[in-house]
Amino acid sequence: MMLNIEVLSPENVVYRGEADEVIAPTSNGQIAIFPHHVSLLTKISEGELIVKSGKQTQYIAVMDGFLQVRKDFITVLADYAIQSEDIQMHKAEEAKKRAEKLLEERVGQKDFAIIEADLRRSLLELKVAQKRRRVASIQHK
Amino acid sequence: MANTVLLKRRIKTSRNVSKTTRAMQMIAASKLKRAQEAVLASRPYVEKLGSLCKEVGEKTDVLSHPYLLQKDTKQRSELLFILAPDKGLCGGLVSNLVKTYLEFSKASYVKIVTVGKKIEPAAARSQNELVASFPFGTSLPTFEATEGIITIIKDYYINQKVESVKILYHKFLGLFSQVTTVLTLLPINLEKENTKHVSEYQLFEPTLQEILPYLLERYVEMAVYQCLLENFASEQAARMIAMQNATDNARDIIFELTLEYNKMRQEKITNEILDISSEGVNQYA
Repeated sequence: MMLNIEVLSPENVVYRGEADEVIAPTSNGQIAIFPHHVSLLTKISEGELIVKSGKQTQYIAVMDGFLQVRKDFITVLADYAIQSEDIQMHKAEEAKKRAEKLLEERVGQKDFAIIEADLRRSLLELKVAQKRRRVASIQHK
Repeated sequence: MANTVLLKRRIKTSRNVSKTTRAMQMIAASKLKRAQEAVLASRPYVEKLGSLCKEVGEKTDVLSHPYLLQKDTKQRSELLFILAPDKGLCGGLVSNLVKTYLEFSKASYVKIVTVGKKIEPAAARSQNELVASFPFGTSLPTFEATEGIITIIKDYYINQKVESVKILYHKFLGLFSQVTTVLTLLPINLEKENTKHVSEYQLFEPTLQEILPYLLERYVEMAVYQCLLENFASEQAARMIAMQNATDNARDIIFELTLEYNKMRQEKITNEILDISSEGVNQYA
């Protein structure tokens, strides 16, 4: 018995596949989902979504959204999601610096929220990408 | 003589027209490509979000959120958003929209909000109360563009100035097919007959009361945004096809006029030769 998982964001279908275990960041803390999980609807907060199938592990950075489990079918609707392989470190770094700089030059309330969201996103991307690199290097040894 | 000059002028005009239409076709094609990608990319997300809302809505008490509450259908007063392009030259897109709108506005009492310049004259002519009008823009709609629309929806729906909110727009089915569609945004349509999942145990974390407002609001925002994207893609597709047809027509006209011009020129030359040769024959005789 496998889980089916689908990660959707407004920009694209981020991930679609089978999994043995899914670990998700929810507003109540991290949860792990195995097959035969009870039907569930929950809010996810920003963090990394881990999809394990066999020996393979996928890391997906997600911003706020929803997660639904129904009959071993998991749907993640995220405001923003990106697979760790697709994260471009230098771009995320640049985005982070840009956002930080903009935050320093005090801007209006509305812009502030947008820039802060940008900053949070780039920080998250960096975190997930760096973590994955570490995991990869450990596995190689 | 005067005739050939006239023809030449007409050929030149047609050629200029075809150049313009060709350029517009190219612009529409490049805009369409991005729009199409955006529409197709976000469609699964929005559809899933919609079905999730319905599923959850069916399981809960409709009183738990105003967006779910089905109101009495007899006292119909609705808020209709009409999405139209800002610019013309896109085939039958606008006239189709106006036709659908007029049919629709006959049926019930509606307040309208126009998005896009091209629907404004039709809206002004009709008897319906115009609440607001927005420009649609000529580039891919940004998510921020939904902000004004959402504010109005909330104001009118939550404060019970209207019983339902609908959006009239062109759904993008493909390059050659755009359909005028009316989407009932609020209240969220629940199919009560579909009761087979209800008995199933369902867990909500943290609680349904906490998730529901986020879920429904997100749905409304995304549904509006999706409509804007669909409408934009439809506009560009329609314009591209219309301009392609115009370019083809111009080419046909140029071809015919050139043919006629050449004939006329040839005739003139023949006549001149005839004159000269008959003159010569007369001299020898």
